Amino acid sequence: MEQAHVINVNQLCKKFVSYKKEPGVLGSVKSFFVRNAIEKKAVDNFQMTVKKGEIIGLLGPNGAGKTTLMKMFTGIVVPTSGELTILGHNPWERDKGFRKKIALVMGQKSQLWWDIPAMDSFTLLQRYYEIPDDRFKERIDHMSEILEVKDLLHIHVRKLSLGERMKLELMASLLHDPEVIFLDEPTIGLDLIAQENIRNFIKEYHRKTKCTIIITSHYMADVQALCDRLVLIMGGTKGFDGPIYEFEKVLGNEKTLSFSFSSEQDPSASIWESYDPEWDEKFRSVELRVPEEELRELSSQIIKNLDVIDFATEKLPIERVMKTLMEKPELLQTGQHD
Amino acid sequence: MINYQNTLKWWQTIKISWVKHTAYRLNFFLQIIGPALVFFFVKYNLWTSIFNQSNETIIQGYNLKQMITYHAWAFIISLIAQGHGSWNLSEDIRMGRISSYLIYPFNFWEFHTASFLSFQSIQLIIAGFTLFLFSFLNIIAPFTTQLLLTGVLFTLYVSFFWYLTQFFTGLLAFWLEETWILRVMLQIIAVFLSGAIIPLELYPEWLVDILNFTPFPYLSYYPIQIMMGREVSLINGIGIIGFWIVFLIFVNRLIWKRGLKLYTAAGM
Repeated sequence: MEQAHVINVNQLCKKFVSYKKEPGVLGSVKSFFVRNAIEKKAVDNFQMTVKKGEIIGLLGPNGAGKTTLMKMFTGIVVPTSGELTILGHNPWERDKGFRKKIALVMGQKSQLWWDIPAMDSFTLLQRYYEIPDDRFKERIDHMSEILEVKDLLHIHVRKLSLGERMKLELMASLLHDPEVIFLDEPTIGLDLIAQENIRNFIKEYHRKTKCTIIITSHYMADVQALCDRLVLIMGGTKGFDGPIYEFEKVLGNEKTLSFSFSSEQDPSASIWESYDPEWDEKFRSVELRVPEEELRELSSQIIKNLDVIDFATEKLPIERVMKTLMEKPELLQTGQHD
Repeated sequence: MINYQNTLKWWQTIKISWVKHTAYRLNFFLQIIGPALVFFFVKYNLWTSIFNQSNETIIQGYNLKQMITYHAWAFIISLIAQGHGSWNLSEDIRMGRISSYLIYPFNFWEFHTASFLSFQSIQLIIAGFTLFLFSFLNIIAPFTTQLLLTGVLFTLYVSFFWYLTQFFTGLLAFWLEETWILRVMLQIIAVFLSGAIIPLELYPEWLVDILNFTPFPYLSYYPIQIMMGREVSLINGIGIIGFWIVFLIFVNRLIWKRGLKLYTAAGM
């Protein structure tokens, strides 16, 4: 028998009905009597299971259904049909027992109260989640130490920078030791250092607590650093579900190599032919798509024979895969994994 | 044990709201006290010139001194009965901020009601201070402690009704893009029909008879009469406002449930 899953999603659908409304007062009056319903499937027949302790990256372009999915997971939105259980609860029933076990961090939305210092928000949350005083103090001390926010706890939240605020948002959501954590674009709008800080913190936190984390992000660096498993959602349906290294190969196991030269090259030379070259205007740098098994031989040949001044393999192959898939979603039909 | 935890939740929310309400002290003063104070002195001058400075003129049973007292009480009572605006509530809905409340193990209505209680405690202090000032300046006629206590309790009772009305209009944000127009309209109607601008004695009798069945006179006219020591039927007021409170609780619960279904946490 399989181990019980933390999250169980089966044939989950969410339809939104909106009403077309003409602009202006007249439009409002009109729409009161005659309403044109527009139905949109935000999530369509979605399935997945999540085991305890996994960190899953939920990817997809804007409007693909990621946020709707997160909202259904946290009980904010009620599914239209299908099955969804989290830790044995139906999220949309929103019983307090369930709410105490989960956390949601929204990068685009502050959950801390703006007009008061973060510490005040924390004590409020302490009451809401019924956290014992000693446990609460211990967690605050511990997390503020790691996140280096000790001095920020008593400053009004509205006076903090986005990066500082995000750290405190994370703290706020982790105070009650949630079993499942939903992070909706936790690094959005942050500078590189702040992104890395947040990333490292999440990683370390997960290592220690073995909690389950679902994270959405448009930054592939987040996903690469944190997630072992990716779930891709496009147009409301699941496009991919599997380990990161498999995702890199969804479009074939070719690698991207780029070379720069000190002089102009001849793009019609036969050496480039089979590697789908992309040249810059001056023919001084090129990007090639090279099958894994030819990588070594080809690169040494180019370096030996031509005046190469720089060469590199891509850092984030999933970024390229993601970009290609967003431009041409139809590619998924052929490269689909299960 | 559960009850104790819950009380702590409420108490902490009230304390935090206190800090929040006073965070923008100047703003708070300008928005709530300022206009009301200006309005009061406009009325003060208006009535003074209507009575033409003569203390003998009597309009519908009010001489000048009594008319001024009436409006001074109207001002103090409005601080308690109708001070709270629930502006945040519809903003929370419209901006998708209620997502947070749906996730915390503390409910949306609990949060806002605690915030209301906290606001009222501040308003009581402000009202007390204003009353002291008015008495000191001899604007208000003397009153007894017993009348004051009865009046304040009745006003607090009515304020809970007004809070529920605000909650109701706030919840309409689930359906409407802007609810402030509605609230301003309600506010204006309430000001007129509650006797806050002119005493109800100056209205036609048939209108007053109808109004007595609506909650409006109890927002201002009734508490003023209590404070001024005039005879009013307390039972009537308690009964009618009580009916409206029960009715609004029921309606609010219903539209909260329906609205939540509709809610898609816009822009979350």
